[in-house]
Amino acid sequence: MMSVTCHNLEFGRIRLDFVGCGCSSNASPNRFPVRNCAEGMLRNVCRPRKLSCKKREVGRCRVFSTKTPETFLNGVTAGPPTVLDSKQEKKGPSSLSDMFEVVADDLLTLNKNLQSIVGSENPVLMSAAEQIFGAGGKRMRPALVFLVSRATAEIAGLKELTIEHRRLAEIIEMIHTASLIHDDVLDESDMRRGKETVHQLYGTRVAVLAGDFMFAQSSWYLANLENLEVIKLISQVIKDFASGEIKQASSLFDCDVHLDEYLIKSYYKTASLIAASTKGASIFSGVHSDISEQMYQYGKNLGLSFQVVDDILDFTQSAEQLGKPAASDLAKGNLTAPVIFALEKESKLRDIIESEFCEKGSLEEAIDIIEKCGAIERARDLAREIADRALKNLDCLPESSFRLGLEQTVNYNLERIK
Amino acid sequence: ELTQEHRRLAEIIEMIHTASLIHDDVLDESDTRRGKETVHQLYGTRVAVLAGDFMFAQSSWYMANLENTQVIKLISQVIKDFASGEIKQASSLFDCDVNLEEYLTKSYYKTASLIAASTKGAAIFSGVHSDIIEQMNQYGYNLGLSFQIVDDILDFTQTPLQLGKPSGSDLAKGNLTAPVIFALEGEPELRGIIKSEFCESGSLEKAVGIVVKCGGIERAKELAREKADRAFENLRCLPISSFRLVLEQMVSYNLERIE
Repeated sequence: MMSVTCHNLEFGRIRLDFVGCGCSSNASPNRFPVRNCAEGMLRNVCRPRKLSCKKREVGRCRVFSTKTPETFLNGVTAGPPTVLDSKQEKKGPSSLSDMFEVVADDLLTLNKNLQSIVGSENPVLMSAAEQIFGAGGKRMRPALVFLVSRATAEIAGLKELTIEHRRLAEIIEMIHTASLIHDDVLDESDMRRGKETVHQLYGTRVAVLAGDFMFAQSSWYLANLENLEVIKLISQVIKDFASGEIKQASSLFDCDVHLDEYLIKSYYKTASLIAASTKGASIFSGVHSDISEQMYQYGKNLGLSFQVVDDILDFTQSAEQLGKPAASDLAKGNLTAPVIFALEKESKLRDIIESEFCEKGSLEEAIDIIEKCGAIERARDLAREIADRALKNLDCLPESSFRLGLEQTVNYNLERIK
Repeated sequence: ELTQEHRRLAEIIEMIHTASLIHDDVLDESDTRRGKETVHQLYGTRVAVLAGDFMFAQSSWYMANLENTQVIKLISQVIKDFASGEIKQASSLFDCDVNLEEYLTKSYYKTASLIAASTKGAAIFSGVHSDIIEQMNQYGYNLGLSFQIVDDILDFTQTPLQLGKPSGSDLAKGNLTAPVIFALEGEPELRGIIKSEFCESGSLEKAVGIVVKCGGIERAKELAREKADRAFENLRCLPISSFRLVLEQMVSYNLERIE
């Protein structure tokens, strides 16, 4: 069994409040939020001058020091259970980066292109982009695009990836990133992948703008691919993202939620993008639509499987490993697979959830019930069942190192819950 | 008769416009719009961001399903322009060296781009010759710029009651529009006040006073008329009809607002 180490152990921080900020060289020793300086940077970028923080606003600056992980928990708002998030990346020999070795060059080119697409507009956007595109992102989705592209290119007799393949990967990663930036605004999260979120660092305005800009850029590149099928496919995803967020927000603490609804919501929020990526990649390879459909199903099953595993880990990993308090989904009223299974048997759990954990210790009690009643096991079975379907979907591909990479991705995911 | 695409296009345009207003109010931290509370003031930033995202997403989807690559590219360019316009504006607040060209580019991104794409898109779906399509594109462009300039003038000349929001609000935020840009050409005192970012009590009122008195408004009015005249020219390729008449009247209506 491979151990999962958490990136956040390296970035453990505590907040020291009320420390003076030196962000304005000509300001009196007042305290200005870092974000106001970023707002200033957004203004002053074309003509180098001293940053002038808005004199009207006074706030606290946050200064961080690296400390032991347990202090990380203090005062850090839990973020959403991010699927395919680097905090769960393994550092052992079968890490994701090893698995994606076969497409490593493709990923390098991708990184360069992304930085220039996003950063060329404005340096603050560049910083925001670096914050999110920088170290920490595993590029899982683009990697899948490249793996499927290369695996299906063989069938079609393509020697090299097309420009459409590469663009598609960039578009996918931009959409994913834009959604993370907005998600963090929606969830009011302070941290992601061990670093501050964009809106925490630069303010809500820059976060909304950066997200909008990236959605816009990806829509534009998508339109210029001039492939109606792929354009419709990806537009559906963006629509699904929004629908998923709304579905989730509308059904918090709702104990009548079915497994089906959970799977639909997970599809909208996670699997939809992955399915569109894998299908899009095969469309650009020009293979038969049966194969494209299998690639779609592979992406969908892989995505669902990932989400279920993420939701299990939210209960089984310690706060340390997660980089945020455990069971943060449950705490917010977002009822995932383990909870739904547990609710089938445990009426006491229902009451606790409906009370929205107003009583002290009730969240811990709920977690306990869930862990003891076998719900986690059932969720594991569900993840495995979906993963098996994903593996079957790969049968139509010829044996290759790329197909192997796609299989390994499915298995890597299951390893996380062994 | 109008095609299904025509009608869809109109719906898409209105959704995009509305979505951008919702996000704009978040970006500007505005409390009121059209005399009512903004979405984010009433329901919070989260709902505003989500509502805007949802509408952008819906309009993108409907647009994709129109299956016209030319129009899809046209509208995607607009959404990209919106974001670029916001960034341009945010990057040049209180920047007294901004010139008229930059202001017109920013106004294009933020306002005229969508209108031009609407009028052009409508012509595309009618299947007319590309010369006419281009004239419709130009009509929308000139109308849009003209509207924006008039809006910017009214921000100085109308009362808060008429505007539905405080007056001089652009200037207060450091967003320097046509009247200000013209005024800055002759009034060094104005420059000093703007650069101070109105930290002194009463300085905003003083600045507004300078802009109004020095003829900046007049010159902006001329600019608006100039764009409007070009918009009229663009309509000449259309046969006389009640519809062409309304397109002309829209240009005139806009100018009436500053007579």
